[in-house]
Amino acid sequence: MKRRSWPLLSILVFGYAFLYVPILLLILYSFNESRLVTVWSGFSLKWYGELLHNRQLLDAAWLSVRIAALNASVAVVLGTLAANALVRHGRFRGRTGLELLLTAPLVMPDVIIGLSLLLLFVTLQQTVGWPDGRGFSTITIAHITFSLAYVAVVVRSRLARMDVSLEEAAMDLGARPLTVYLRITLPLIAPALLSGWLLAFTLSLDDLVIASFVSGPGATTLPMVIYSSVRMGVSPQINALATLVVALVAVAVVIAGLSMRRR
Amino acid sequence: MSSLPDRRLLESWQDPKAAPYVRIERLTKKFGDVYAVDDVSLNIFQGEFFSLLGSSGCGKSTLLRLLAGLEYPTSGRIHIDGVDVTDVPPYSRPVNMMFQSYALFPHMTVEQNIDFGLRQDRLPRRERAERIGEMLDLLKITPLRKRRPDQLSGGQRQRVALARSLAKHPKLLLLDEPLGALDKRLRENTQFELVNLQERLGTTFVTVTHDQEEAMTMSSRIAIMEAGQIMQIDTPTAIYEFPNCRFVAEFIGSVNLFEGKIVERQGDQVLIEAQFGGLMRMRSFQPHAIGTPVMVAIRPEKMRLCETPGGDGVNRLQGIVEDIAYLGDVSIYRIRTGSGLLAEMTLTNIQPRTEQALTWEQEAVIEWSPTSGVVLTE
Repeated sequence: MKRRSWPLLSILVFGYAFLYVPILLLILYSFNESRLVTVWSGFSLKWYGELLHNRQLLDAAWLSVRIAALNASVAVVLGTLAANALVRHGRFRGRTGLELLLTAPLVMPDVIIGLSLLLLFVTLQQTVGWPDGRGFSTITIAHITFSLAYVAVVVRSRLARMDVSLEEAAMDLGARPLTVYLRITLPLIAPALLSGWLLAFTLSLDDLVIASFVSGPGATTLPMVIYSSVRMGVSPQINALATLVVALVAVAVVIAGLSMRRR
Repeated sequence: MSSLPDRRLLESWQDPKAAPYVRIERLTKKFGDVYAVDDVSLNIFQGEFFSLLGSSGCGKSTLLRLLAGLEYPTSGRIHIDGVDVTDVPPYSRPVNMMFQSYALFPHMTVEQNIDFGLRQDRLPRRERAERIGEMLDLLKITPLRKRRPDQLSGGQRQRVALARSLAKHPKLLLLDEPLGALDKRLRENTQFELVNLQERLGTTFVTVTHDQEEAMTMSSRIAIMEAGQIMQIDTPTAIYEFPNCRFVAEFIGSVNLFEGKIVERQGDQVLIEAQFGGLMRMRSFQPHAIGTPVMVAIRPEKMRLCETPGGDGVNRLQGIVEDIAYLGDVSIYRIRTGSGLLAEMTLTNIQPRTEQALTWEQEAVIEWSPTSGVVLTE
């Protein structure tokens, strides 16, 4: 029998409470019948119902999901290529530069990324006429620029831990480099690709700052809608929506965790 | 009883008419400024079990990787079965390798692992299935065929790796420390199995090892490597009995080295004035000039206790027993001479230990015969 250490246990409970009580409260109040967010008056699903009829919120959610999915897919491809170059190609010219470029988005404040991208898009529009106005495409591009850095980090560590002799063995057995990559390398780093995709998806889904800089009229992402509506007072609909988002993210995190644990 | 294949009168490496199966010509591989393989020339014959033996960093693994095509040489050529393969990429070479880590694909079953190489050759499904069955049988791993590598023990993985690299019937099988990851008991059994397998298949094996015992038991010939160069290539017996230099003599087993100077030649024997004060008479076929400084190398088990003191005193050492290491079957005696030299003698324990003649601090005279060692010049 293990002896319980009460001080440690209480610190643990406090830690979990600190992290999860706000979220649990939010989920609880999404089932609240009252219009007031802070007063409990009974269980109800009516806010979920109303949410289904709120076109503005639903459109924003759909836009966010589309941006997040496209962003994650492109970021996984680019991030994997970058990770491959860094792990498998030794000391090529421009390696230090690539490494710096990949680390920059991880440490740069969102405000600066957003502002610099906004300046870039505006200049581009004035000089080459593209992008024609800001919206879906500019937000997606902005998200890809920082998401791919996160993907590269995840994929890179997986690649670095992979035994190179596996690829050598495949080549020794007659597989050409492309076959080696498709049949050996990709399946072995697949868990990292999946968690990289999910990470990029969530990063994009909850980004408010960068999106606010580079979006234009008519392209309002979910975090932007939530943020602006909260300023006018929290509607229980937001709680319902947030609950759905939390559920989605939780599922994604569980999938990513499971796939990383699988060898 | 398994019958050994007929031993030809001449081994292939002694037959001047035999064409080498693998011909390595002046091969050099540099990593930056470091010569990993330094101007190595080497012939390996069909059906040989050839070992590259050396301590870590001596270049033996690099030489193996050059044969596999996983590294390309800085200069020099490699021919396999008459074809120059120096610039052929690894996936087109008729060579397969068993990796030290086994490198089994973790996302595939045993069967799929073996199948991988056959698939690359685009063999028809029937033939692939046959070959897989043949390999599973050969290595007695049929019950494991649906398992994944992480569900196998170390010994089982070794068998799967061997099956996978043999499945394509390579002209040359390269083995990188094939027994390195196994525990001692398993290693000894596997040594014999590996030799049996090789004799049955007739495939040419080239193995890399740092374990001299392993190389001695398994190989038809051994190449001793040091600092990227080959010091000696010979059969295990010849390497042990007739090392060609001090390095090889000391690398394999233990050895007594007595320095001296040649004073006289008598037929196929030379008389050597030893630094420890006496005279040595040794057989030597090398044309040493009088006065050449030499070293006489004698294995401890070739030493014996001198029963009849007196005579001419040649090939004899007198000293005091300083140390006895009792190993059960044999005992190792260390004898310190008056001049401070330490000589080692191994005696088989024919009598129970309590009745043995020699004991600590006892005066002893040891001797050896002129044919029991070699005369080295470096």
